[in-house]
Amino acid sequence: MGISCQRLIKSFGEPPTVIIKGIDLNIEDGDFVSISGRSGSGKSTLLYLLSTLDLPSSGSVMIDGQSPAELSVDALHQFRNESLGFVFQFHYLLPELTALENALLPARKNNNVDAKTHVNALFELFDIQTARDKLPSQLSGGEQQRVAIVRALSMKPRYLFADEPTGNLDSVNSKIVMDILKKANKEWGMTLILVTHEPDYAAMAEKEIFLKDGVIVNTAS
Amino acid sequence: MFFLAIRHLLSRKRQTALIFLGISMGTMMFAIISGLQLGMREFVVDRLLSNTAHIRISARDQSVDKDEMTRRFYPQGEMISWLSPPSGKREEAHILYPQGWFDRLREDPEVVAYSPTLNMSVIISKADTRHPAVLVGVVPALYEKVLDISQYIQQGSLDVLKNSGNRVIVGNLLLESLGARLGDTIMVSSGQAELRPLKIAGVLSLSVEDVDKTLMIASLNDVQQLNKTPGQINEISVALVDINLAQAMAGAWALVSRDKVESWEEVNASFLQIFVFQDIVRITVTTAILVVAAFGIYNVLSIIVNQKRREIAILRSIGYPPSMILQLFLIQGVMLGFSGALFGLLVGFGLNLYIETIELNVHIGSGNTLIISFAPSIYIMGFAMAFFSAILASLLPALAASRLTPIDIIRSEI
Repeated sequence: MGISCQRLIKSFGEPPTVIIKGIDLNIEDGDFVSISGRSGSGKSTLLYLLSTLDLPSSGSVMIDGQSPAELSVDALHQFRNESLGFVFQFHYLLPELTALENALLPARKNNNVDAKTHVNALFELFDIQTARDKLPSQLSGGEQQRVAIVRALSMKPRYLFADEPTGNLDSVNSKIVMDILKKANKEWGMTLILVTHEPDYAAMAEKEIFLKDGVIVNTAS
Repeated sequence: MFFLAIRHLLSRKRQTALIFLGISMGTMMFAIISGLQLGMREFVVDRLLSNTAHIRISARDQSVDKDEMTRRFYPQGEMISWLSPPSGKREEAHILYPQGWFDRLREDPEVVAYSPTLNMSVIISKADTRHPAVLVGVVPALYEKVLDISQYIQQGSLDVLKNSGNRVIVGNLLLESLGARLGDTIMVSSGQAELRPLKIAGVLSLSVEDVDKTLMIASLNDVQQLNKTPGQINEISVALVDINLAQAMAGAWALVSRDKVESWEEVNASFLQIFVFQDIVRITVTTAILVVAAFGIYNVLSIIVNQKRREIAILRSIGYPPSMILQLFLIQGVMLGFSGALFGLLVGFGLNLYIETIELNVHIGSGNTLIISFAPSIYIMGFAMAFFSAILASLLPALAASRLTPIDIIRSEI
């Protein structure tokens, strides 16, 4: 069913500063969409609106046929848990948990024991099996981000949102991360929405959206 | 969320240990102070009740009243000014209609037993030694149903008073003052007429100095003869099924009688007042300790919530609702409160067991060690105070954490 938004507006503060200015967008299931633009163009804000983390000032977002604004708090969080995966610029791993425990956090919410097999397979696939029992502080930046991606993929979500996932990584690790994200989209059919300021990575997407001052100025397929 | 809460606690061992010790210290102090205070209180109350009935019915003094005399002698309402107003007592106080009380008490289902007594002040002498005392005339079979006096009789027994025979049971300190022994005869005077010889047939000790120095118990008949008031009594002691009803029942009976009716609490009001002050001190000290510990929990959790903003954001974004974030921090407070309280009470219990064995240079009851109470209510109350103060202290930071939204945190991090 994908993600769609109509006349999406988001403003902050008083007097209000409008960041997103009436965006209409349609993302199909299985799409790989990149959102790029200069700093302050509103690309991260648009990602958070599309991914239910934030609510619009006006306009509407529909994801998987439902409006996040109309869901109850518990239903919204259950939807996030089961259907959405997030990768941020910072890994946001819990420092007191091992890599494996971090990756299993989404599954732990509903005592989903089956996820462990899947997560272990992802650790091997991403070549970080030796990191499983280590704390985040014992891992390199690239390994930390890969663990964060395993966490995002642990519930086999239908939508994967990545906000500058390579922003803190060197070129080698950036390539590894991008390869994983592409794999998630191409081989596992996840809808991938990527925010990046790297033109090369933006160009990997089937659909490129370029934002300027809160407005889509260019769309390329 | 238990798993994550435990990991949070273990990841900051020093802070966790300090809060844990703070709570433990509070409950331990509570257990020790309460054990000591309530132990002594139980001892004192036990001794008081061995000498005081649940309800005491006693005769009121019949004083001569100036206004009443005026009305009686000058019923026409003349203007009278007494040069020397009438005063004094009409007669010795005694219960005017004891049979009425006996009938009522016999039929009351809340009354276990009652015992009529005649109490009088006497002077006793042996050789050249004289001593004031209180002589209580009792019917032994009734008296021991009301007051558990037998266990305090060191020599002889209450049975020796069953038949009139001028026998008396004497407080051990009084015996000491007289330099007398069991079997000796002492002379007793009511202050009215001749001395009467009474044979010491028993010795009692309540371990209450004032009582042991003055109390003598004899047969009711003997005391009535000595007082020259055959058939008279001036007190009825009553034992109830439920001691807690004493005050209410005494109040109700007082309304329908001209005799003085007092519960044991009223009779011993000064002692009980001390207990109230003790309670205030005990609870104040413990509360102060627990407040410090609770502030510790509050401060540490508040700092942790601030430090864990990123983790809260990610937990929210992977589907943990605000209620689970609340649980995460609340559980930490609850675990600290639960374990700290339990540990403190266990240590307090152990220390109380030890304190109970320390021998002192003072006589307390039949021994020379402190009397400690191990009443479950102490431990239940200590646990409840610590546990609920820990919950309250963790509630505010937990609520603050649950109100954080992922997007606000992520934006503030960028």
